[in-house]
Amino acid sequence: MLRIDGLNASYGSIRVLKDVSIQVPAGNVVSIIGANGAGKSTLLKSISGIMKINGGRILYKERNIAGMRTNQIVRLGVSHVPEGRQIFAHLTVCDNINLGAYHYFKRSNRLEIKERMTRVYHMFPILEKRSKQIAGTLSGGEQQMLAIGRALMGRPELLLLDEPSMGIAPLVVREIFNVIKQLNQSGVTVLLVEQNAKAAIKVAHNSYVLERGEIVLEGSSAELLNNPKVKEHYLGG
Amino acid sequence: MEKITLASQLLQYFITGLTVGSVYAMVAVGFNIIYNVTEIINFAQGEFVMLGGLIMVFLHVAMGLSLILAFPATIVLVTLIGILIDRLAIRPIRCPSVLTLIIATIAVSIIIKGTASFIWGKNPFDLPAFSGRNPINILGAVIQPQYFWVIGFLVVTAVALSIFFDRTIMGKAMSACADNPNAASLVGINVKQMVLLSFALSAAIGAVAGITITPISLMEYDRGAMLAVKGFGAAILGGLGSFPGAILGGLIMGSIESFGAGLISSGYKDAFALIVLLVILFFKPSGLMGSVEISRIKRF
Ligand SMILES: Nc1ncnc2c1ncn2[C@@H]1O[C@H](COP(=O)(O)OP(=O)(O)OP(=O)(O)O)[C@@H](O)[C@H]1O
Ligand SMILES: [Mg+2]
Repeated sequence: MLRIDGLNASYGSIRVLKDVSIQVPAGNVVSIIGANGAGKSTLLKSISGIMKINGGRILYKERNIAGMRTNQIVRLGVSHVPEGRQIFAHLTVCDNINLGAYHYFKRSNRLEIKERMTRVYHMFPILEKRSKQIAGTLSGGEQQMLAIGRALMGRPELLLLDEPSMGIAPLVVREIFNVIKQLNQSGVTVLLVEQNAKAAIKVAHNSYVLERGEIVLEGSSAELLNNPKVKEHYLGG
Repeated sequence: MEKITLASQLLQYFITGLTVGSVYAMVAVGFNIIYNVTEIINFAQGEFVMLGGLIMVFLHVAMGLSLILAFPATIVLVTLIGILIDRLAIRPIRCPSVLTLIIATIAVSIIIKGTASFIWGKNPFDLPAFSGRNPINILGAVIQPQYFWVIGFLVVTAVALSIFFDRTIMGKAMSACADNPNAASLVGINVKQMVLLSFALSAAIGAVAGITITPISLMEYDRGAMLAVKGFGAAILGGLGSFPGAILGGLIMGSIESFGAGLISSGYKDAFALIVLLVILFFKPSGLMGSVEISRIKRF
């Protein structure tokens, strides 16, 4: 579904991604783990078009989307939940969710939008209770749920999740990983970036390790969980 | 001759105040539209009003176009100027910060003013009132019919805009751009297009204000700056970003000016409104209708 070949990206003169190549087969969960500053968020931003890249190909459904505008890439079914809950803080929860469907918001799609909204509220019941509240006043965890919910409104076929568990209570983290599994079972392909390496590797079919902008390791959950290097650096020994 | 009672005098001041205030309110609404999408304070907002008035004079008086045609034509022209401002002054700026953009709008206002003085000279121009100048007598107060046109257009714009921003996804999308442009593009909003739309909309509203007020107070090339100051005051008074607030703020500013000029001294009329503004902000910094909740998470 997604294939990245030789991706390079930099902030000014600092190279952040060096010849990164990964594959995300349709229907899979693929996770990327790596230390702070390894370039994980930059990779996701490159895919969704927020970050201008310097070279390489990003093939989504056999089509090179590198250099396309962000607001067009969403239309193709790529939804990015950025790091740090980038919700629309001044709008209500309900408006945030509706805006997730912005790119196909038409009278004729009303039923679909309503259906998706019901599904989001079913996944995160707290959002329904808070639906008239200003989003900026939600708790951190609630904002994260809202950000995920908003992305789900956008008809995602490929979901890019950037540290969905950051700053969230362990119990809710488990819930969010369950949501990821559920979504995957319903046919959504997921590319997941996580600090919580163990949970990420477990939920994924396949994982990559990113170090200082380079892919250094790739493997299935079983392979990586037993890899001594991964154990030492990412799973806490 | 009829005796002028205090009551009819006060009513006169009040209606004059509402009329002037309606113009401030429209300017304030224009500020809010651009502010809500970009967080920019567009200091060229007053120039839209001036251009509306002068272009209308040109089309209607000089060219002889009928009122019905000249009115929309003027709005279209001023809207195009608003679009040009976005294209030529706002969009080309690289790595824009809100502050550099605000400074760009100040530059734009100076350029527009200069161009206007070059085209129209420094004299004020008059425009025929829409429905004549036979005053209407209401409870002893003598009111020009044009006053009702001004107030009426404020009501129409206010209703149309509140429907647009509160009820349509396009309106919500515009607000989302100010909140978080990256996240806005992630849900498929074309942010640059929304910024353009905000400049077009507020230029159109400025034009309406200019066209309707010119028959009452004439219009000349350098009126924009003072209108921008009053309109900005009204926007702040009502709570920056709030449309009901902008309208309330504008009407209050206009009324204070009118009563102050009539009852105390017309020389200080500009000061009265600003003093009241400062006092209210002292007690309620988020403005009259500004939501405290929202102002806490705002950057400005
Ligand atoms: N806007 C920016 N300007 C300059 N440098 C940046 C910018 N954003 C990120 N960087 C740098 O790029 C590198 C990779 O950043 P990135 O955000 O992709 O890391 P990450 O792997 O997501 O880290 P974390 O786990 O902390 O989120 C870091 O060294 C960071 O300092
Ligand atoms: Mg990151």
